[in-house]
Amino acid sequence: MATIANKKSRQRRRELTDGQFALMIGLPVILLLVVIVAYPLVYSAWMAFHRIMFFGGYRAKFVGFKNFATVLSDPEFWWCTWVTIRFTLESVILTMLLGLGIGLLLNRPSRFGSLWRTLVFLPWCVSLYGAGLMFAYLARGQTGLPTAILADLGMQNVPDFMTTRSIVEVLAIGSSWTMAPLVGFFVLANLKTIPKRLYDLAAIDQLTPLETFWNVTLPPLRFTLFVFTSISIVLSMKLFDLIFVLSDGGPGDASSTLTYQLYKVSFKNLNLGYGAAMSFFLLFFIIGSTMALYLVWGRREKAL
Amino acid sequence: MKTHRPNFVIAMAILIIWSLLPILWFVRMAFMNHAEIASFPPHILPSSFNLSSFVNIFGYDYKLADGTISSASGQAGQIELGLQNSVIVSVVVTLITMVIVVPLAYVFSRLDFKFKNVLLNAVLLAVAIPPVSTLIPFYTMYVQLGLVGTLPGLIIIDLTTTVPFVTWMLIGYFRNLPPIERLARIDGFSRLHTLVFLILPLARSGVAVSAIIAFLFAWNEFTFALVLVNGTPATTLPAAISGFLGQDPNPSQLAACILITIIPPALVAFFLQRHLAEMNIADPVR
Amino acid sequence: MKRREFGTMAAAIGLAATPFGRAFASVADLEPTSGKPVYFRGWQFATDIVQSNVKRYNDLEHGKISYATVTGDYPSIMEQSLIAKADLDVLYANPSSAVRYYEGGWVMPAETLPAIADIKADMLPQFLDAWSYDGKLLGLSYFASTRGCIHTNLLAYNKAGMTDKDFPADWDALYDQVYALHDKGIATPILPHWFGEYFGISWGFVMEVLNRGNPVADPTTHKPTMTTDPNGPAYKTLAQWKKLWKSKLVPQEVLTYNEAAYIDAFASGRYVFSPQQIYDVQTMNTPGRSQIAGHATILPVVKQSWGLIDSALYLMTNRKRPEAQTDDVKKFTSWYGFKDGDGKIYVGERWMESHLLFSAYKSVMDSPATEARIKQAVARPDDYAVLLDVYKKTPFPTGIWRVVWSEEFNSYLRDTLSKFLLNDGDIADTIKAMNDQISSLNDKYGI
Repeated sequence: MATIANKKSRQRRRELTDGQFALMIGLPVILLLVVIVAYPLVYSAWMAFHRIMFFGGYRAKFVGFKNFATVLSDPEFWWCTWVTIRFTLESVILTMLLGLGIGLLLNRPSRFGSLWRTLVFLPWCVSLYGAGLMFAYLARGQTGLPTAILADLGMQNVPDFMTTRSIVEVLAIGSSWTMAPLVGFFVLANLKTIPKRLYDLAAIDQLTPLETFWNVTLPPLRFTLFVFTSISIVLSMKLFDLIFVLSDGGPGDASSTLTYQLYKVSFKNLNLGYGAAMSFFLLFFIIGSTMALYLVWGRREKAL
Repeated sequence: MKTHRPNFVIAMAILIIWSLLPILWFVRMAFMNHAEIASFPPHILPSSFNLSSFVNIFGYDYKLADGTISSASGQAGQIELGLQNSVIVSVVVTLITMVIVVPLAYVFSRLDFKFKNVLLNAVLLAVAIPPVSTLIPFYTMYVQLGLVGTLPGLIIIDLTTTVPFVTWMLIGYFRNLPPIERLARIDGFSRLHTLVFLILPLARSGVAVSAIIAFLFAWNEFTFALVLVNGTPATTLPAAISGFLGQDPNPSQLAACILITIIPPALVAFFLQRHLAEMNIADPVR
Repeated sequence: MKRREFGTMAAAIGLAATPFGRAFASVADLEPTSGKPVYFRGWQFATDIVQSNVKRYNDLEHGKISYATVTGDYPSIMEQSLIAKADLDVLYANPSSAVRYYEGGWVMPAETLPAIADIKADMLPQFLDAWSYDGKLLGLSYFASTRGCIHTNLLAYNKAGMTDKDFPADWDALYDQVYALHDKGIATPILPHWFGEYFGISWGFVMEVLNRGNPVADPTTHKPTMTTDPNGPAYKTLAQWKKLWKSKLVPQEVLTYNEAAYIDAFASGRYVFSPQQIYDVQTMNTPGRSQIAGHATILPVVKQSWGLIDSALYLMTNRKRPEAQTDDVKKFTSWYGFKDGDGKIYVGERWMESHLLFSAYKSVMDSPATEARIKQAVARPDDYAVLLDVYKKTPFPTGIWRVVWSEEFNSYLRDTLSKFLLNDGDIADTIKAMNDQISSLNDKYGI
């Protein structure tokens, strides 16, 4: 008895505890992240509490919460918030549905499987910048595919999608086009782990394809789907390149999401204090929505 | 193997068309001359295929069939430089990211320790910060440190995105691996040894996938590149390409450039998709 | 031929063209002495030409010029660099940005150049005026163009049974003709200057108000001058815009165009009229580049001017650097923005030759080579005179551009005008809001 206990304690001395090992690995990285990420964040916070002027000499004046109050009372901010919500919802739903579809389709054995997989993965290889250009050329009536097809059919209509009514949808399609393959491949990877016998059992129980999908296919996917829903929420809310290239926030402010507006306020108009205050609202929204998703969905998945 | 039902074939065809259509629209433009791109209504297919744009963007003139010369692009210098820098940045970022992230994700997913959730949330917070909001502070900080217009500067910034992001993706993956730590410890393996020689080989497909994700992030990063290295000797491909949109536009060369940027990641993807397909080897019903 | 070889060859030709080699011919000593690099930045336009120009300087004068281009939102990226005191010595700037940078305390005016008297003597007076602020000439001529001269697609125009005799003489007549052309079956007769860049819709408004005879703001006091009088220039401009927008003759996507898309849209031949850059007459008339090659012209000045002066300067920064390096900056700027070591306006002439960029220097504009060059670019020989006439009569919005807040007002205008169209804004309210904005900007900067 004593010897065993002795041996155990000796082993422990040689071995790091979980905590020590975690600290050894994690601390340097986290410290580095803190330094690199926190500095700009703290700097932003400082700007958010100041009025910064460049003309007639650089000056910064402490103004308390004034910038935050201005943001909240600015109708433009609330408009951009609404655009962000609309875009994020559309983009995330499309991305997840497409991703699920990609995973399910590619999971079927087929000839040239690896070729199809590579082709379907291609959109993720295209930068958001490139995707923005592609969709701009595709969606404009002047250069777009719909006009070309109609013209070949002898019609003279010029469908224009770059309008206040549909620009957000064009952006959502563009962003889901690039993001969906990533989701699709993680779904595919998870599908590969579902034992075939489960499907055999389902067949014996004479489940309909929908029931099979719901009871056999979906459960092991749910955690992955949750993770990627939150990832695509974050990516959609942060999205900048695509909007910058595709619509530049327009027409008017029809596609000015908060990220785009932030760029405009801080970078074009050099309204640094106001922009910094706004960036904290955006950060709050991003964190808030992922937290909310975790509370209503993620928490349950972890229990599985 | 049973034959495919028509539904499946149709769905697959739609998926392939959806994935390729925007790219093909650019392939078509890359082969057109400028007047053809500017024609209205637009033609679906180019009237003649010419390779001039692909040649021009690398700094060479091209003789067209009718004898006229399509001259080298003024952006060629930036494009070549950008290509070179993008390769360097992406490879370095990928390597560093993997070295940092694999142990980090492992620790977070497999071990229990105090403050785990706090630290995990700190990492995830970094994912949530929109680049636009830290652009100006980063810029100011970089000017003071002399990092504007340098490759190390850009690499550091890219890491602030890739590290938290890939960590997030890998945590779920590591969680699904079979619990071999206890066995390893009984066999007298140290923790580091366990990680490097037992976990890593087991997780290699997940690690490979994470690597390509890190690579793609660095390869396609545009916002920071635009502000920090654009127009300097450290320019990257996306920043260099944006020059085609200026006041002397050339959509055909622009399209050719974008297509070329897709090739390296597509090759990587081609060789990696085998791993993608068999990524989660663990039985989830454990 | 490889680009680099071309550069070397161009430089070699430049050398050979000098009769006795430059050791004898040198007029001014423009050779740098500090051994430090001079940082030269600009936006992306014909970068191959700029590179070979810079190379020529580096070869001939043993210079160390580091040239690179900047993309994205140029004025704000440059402002960032200037604020951060990044490595930057010579840069392109529009006059309105130049004034702002000067007020920010980041610019060394051209007055400090040894050749300033010659420079001013050779400069066309309207540009000398437009580019001077606080009594000082801020920079040297990169290009001076008319943005918003009305490009006309003769192919469609003649097909509709119209000829030169029918050319509209002012903006109202132009709009009348747009509707007449539409009645004759042309779906989209006009592509208005409404695109989404910082020099798009806002400048489109400013040029039209200027052409109709109102300076937008007073040139000296900068007080707003627009009125809500229904016959006033601002009101009539907005009323015409509203009518055009409601008639749905202009696709909404124009508001999201960048300049590339804007030029290409007109080059497609889909439209009859469009306010464009004067130098793009060449673009529109080049086969392989445009669908209306050989059939593009611009409207002559009859009752009123067209467009506004769109120009750019080479500015020098006043960042901290050793005296000798500052001297090198001056030498390079003088060489690049005025005359080279042989007393030739090399860069200016080359821009005319390659891209039809007009210069502010009389000696470039009046030269026979320029005449030949323009005649080669236009569709009809007589257009040469039209081009020069339109160019020389182009107004400059001094009241809103030669003032520190010009960029802020510009970005305000861009938002306000696109919203005015999209949300069916009230004309008088919009004008009042614009005037108020000018007044509050004046207050902000104590003007």
